[in-house]
Amino acid sequence: MKHALLSCTGLDKPEGSLAREVAILAADATGSEIICPVLLNRAPARYRKALSENALIVVDGCSTRCATKLAGRLETKVVRKVLISDAAKASRMPFEPTLRLRTSGVALAQAIVDQLVRDLNAPAVAAEPSSAWETPAEFLVVTHDKFEFRIPVVDYLFNENDCWARVSEGVARVGISDYMQQRLTDISFFDPPKTNAEVEQFGELGALESAKAVFEIASPVSGAVVAVNAAVVENPALINEDPYGAGWLVEIKLAGLEQDEALLLDGAAYADIVKRKAAED
Amino acid sequence: MADVTFMGVPRQKIPWFPAIDYARCTFCMECDAFCPHHVFERQESAPRLVVANPNNCVVFCRACAKTCGPDAITFPDKPEIIALIKRVRKEEMVK
Repeated sequence: MKHALLSCTGLDKPEGSLAREVAILAADATGSEIICPVLLNRAPARYRKALSENALIVVDGCSTRCATKLAGRLETKVVRKVLISDAAKASRMPFEPTLRLRTSGVALAQAIVDQLVRDLNAPAVAAEPSSAWETPAEFLVVTHDKFEFRIPVVDYLFNENDCWARVSEGVARVGISDYMQQRLTDISFFDPPKTNAEVEQFGELGALESAKAVFEIASPVSGAVVAVNAAVVENPALINEDPYGAGWLVEIKLAGLEQDEALLLDGAAYADIVKRKAAED
Repeated sequence: MADVTFMGVPRQKIPWFPAIDYARCTFCMECDAFCPHHVFERQESAPRLVVANPNNCVVFCRACAKTCGPDAITFPDKPEIIALIKRVRKEEMVK
């Protein structure tokens, strides 16, 4: 499928050289158009058509995330992100820190693109809607200055990293709290975990990005990822709009809830944590 | 911060905080500008940035490392810290 490809052009860093190669190979593999970030900055009209007709793939060289920050100024939807420094580590292939790529660098770029294409073609596993997942009716409210943070009174368990789990028939639906969505402000991207991935309690369940921060989702429970909320991948603003309902992130088939529960809090206990955190902010 | 706990364990017993690799750090101060908990502190003399308040760091948060272009910030191994928290909780319960 055709996309627009906005990539780091870090000329002074090896990750920039690798990002550039990844962009060229990915453009070939997907029939996408490359957006030069420098030209986009200087003459945005040049890319108006490409950016209005296609969704974006963003390739960042390093965690400075220049391409991501540029993409944040556009109206174009981001479908996939690649962070070269992380992708290089995840590939377990050798990465020679040279500006001019050698054979091993080109092979690494190709491996990163192969993974990108696989990810683009893998549809999120949608969860069946179920009457058991009604939005909570009753909330505790923690107020701080002009802010109000809502916490469901029953059915939700929390960890201290502001993630919740709601359990039904051996599966936990997982999301982030109202407090965390307000701290992150407008969430622009959900990088979901792979379906079927095994996760430990507090293990990483993908990440959320806003203009303010990248938030690692710390799993409240252990188990296997059985579903990703495709609606949130498509429209991350749902997390801000309804963090305990439509903005859920993933479902996990539970592996050891009894043990996990020792490190989880009910709504009232989590409200105390929110009070403390809000006072420290 | 003395009475702050994480999962019932005194914060100062949990060695979760960033370490700066000064061979990589460019002192761009992105991490310090980001962290709302004042974990880092800028200094007049070298090194111009230090981890001054490690116990202010939110356990399992690695957001500052995700702002670090030169990849100069590292954190301890998460499973090891989880095991430590569980061990300390058990000891506290025995008491």
